[in-house]
Amino acid sequence: MTLDLITALIPMASDDGAVWLLAAGPAGGAATYWAFYRYYRNNDKSHQFERDTLIAAQPVQGGEEKVGHISKTRNSDIEGDNSDKYRQRVQRVQ
Amino acid sequence: MTQDSAEPKQPTFDGPPLSLEEELAAAKAEPEPGPSIETVNESLKDGLNRCPKCGSTDVQLRGSTGMLVCLFCRNEWQEARVEEEFGLGEGIDQLEGTVIASGAGDIAADAADQLTFKCEACGAEVVVDTAHALNARCHWCRHTLNVNQQIPNGAVPDAVLPFRLTKDEAVEKIREFASKRRLFAHKRFKKEFVPENVLGVYLPYLVIDARAESQYWGKGEVQTRRWTEKQGDNNVTYYAADVYQVARQVSFTVDDLTVEGSSERAQIGPANTNNIINTILPFDTKNAVKWNASYLVGFTSEKRDLNVEAVRPHLEDQLLSIGRSQVRASLGRFDRGVRWEQEKLDVGGSRWVSMYLPVWLYSYRQESNGMLHYIAVNARTGETMGSIPVSQPKLLLAAFTVGTFLEGIAGAILVAMA
Ligand SMILES: [Zn+2]
Ligand SMILES: [Zn+2]
Repeated sequence: MTLDLITALIPMASDDGAVWLLAAGPAGGAATYWAFYRYYRNNDKSHQFERDTLIAAQPVQGGEEKVGHISKTRNSDIEGDNSDKYRQRVQRVQ
Repeated sequence: MTQDSAEPKQPTFDGPPLSLEEELAAAKAEPEPGPSIETVNESLKDGLNRCPKCGSTDVQLRGSTGMLVCLFCRNEWQEARVEEEFGLGEGIDQLEGTVIASGAGDIAADAADQLTFKCEACGAEVVVDTAHALNARCHWCRHTLNVNQQIPNGAVPDAVLPFRLTKDEAVEKIREFASKRRLFAHKRFKKEFVPENVLGVYLPYLVIDARAESQYWGKGEVQTRRWTEKQGDNNVTYYAADVYQVARQVSFTVDDLTVEGSSERAQIGPANTNNIINTILPFDTKNAVKWNASYLVGFTSEKRDLNVEAVRPHLEDQLLSIGRSQVRASLGRFDRGVRWEQEKLDVGGSRWVSMYLPVWLYSYRQESNGMLHYIAVNARTGETMGSIPVSQPKLLLAAFTVGTFLEGIAGAILVAMA
């Protein structure tokens, strides 16, 4: 992990002024802490019932309709993408 | 999986949600009582479980075979699988309303915890405290008395999945799990770690079949252009995108969704380690057999204290999550992602069975913060997961060392570039 971080840092240092490189120490330290903490405590784990349950689904239905256009943004992704966060509940309608 | 995303079949939006009053009224409405599945094991209703061959009551589970063994004549047998006996695998796509098996009925108040059995062998009266155990020995003649009769207080489940992994195998799994996590383990934990203290426990679960339809509405974005502009010394990347209102819906059935039946275990959050027990799911619940308390001899068990109505919100949450994972593959064209904003669930029908599932459990209470840590082994599949108390000073020191090392390299790069 440490080695990956270093190899990632070296090429990046050349484009952007490189003072932010000084964040490497704190960032690497924090990453180390959390990686080991997770390995010991496993408090991020749970049963993957979406995958490990017998599920039989009908074909997905639905549609989409263009409602707008963003002509210029610096965000590379939609804000608040939760399409992979299956357990993050959103407003429930009846 | 096929999809018809090109032509919208459903209205893309279902209108505003209900008013607060309507929502409250809907939430308060009494659930309709559904039909029940009678799972009482009639042959056991006197509280005695006799060997069918010699009549002895000295019966227990033989872990290596998953069968009951008579300790007197060595006869081995087993109860029927509930899957076939009660037709649990069938008709999920036709489920209507809420079907509750007799052992998954509501838990009665504590008053019903004390059950008195008349020992059929010698006539003595023996009390079994069903809050803590579902079997006891007659103190006069040593007959084992079991709470086999499914008294309608919900104390006795419909089915039990017998232990398969032996204690020695569990100890080995637990030792292996912990030994990979020695370096930063709490010093006191390392000193006090005795995996031989593992206990075989039957934990209470509700096993649910359900038929549901879920719907989702949100926004999706498709990138139309990507370019960079020079700003001072830097290149900045910009994007243009089309925004879509997206709707998806999917009908599905789930077979044997397994949910904690103990309120203490069902609370999963950063304040406890309950997720560990949850993580060793799933079990091969299809192999569960009809209730017979002899399967419990030599193990401890925990009583279910959550009723179907209390678990229903968990079920609905899980069904919504499952539906979301089902529609995920149909979102491919939205390369900038999808943000779901609203969701809706219709549970067409559900069937609830109360089941004891076997877990080898090593638990350790951390003195310094009172947190209960577990290493749990699924006694069917051997899947092992645990929480080991961490020595914060050691871990912080390691993190600090790595941080310092990286900072040194970063400094060297900066110096070299200057
Ligand atoms: Zn016998
Ligand atoms: Zn007796």
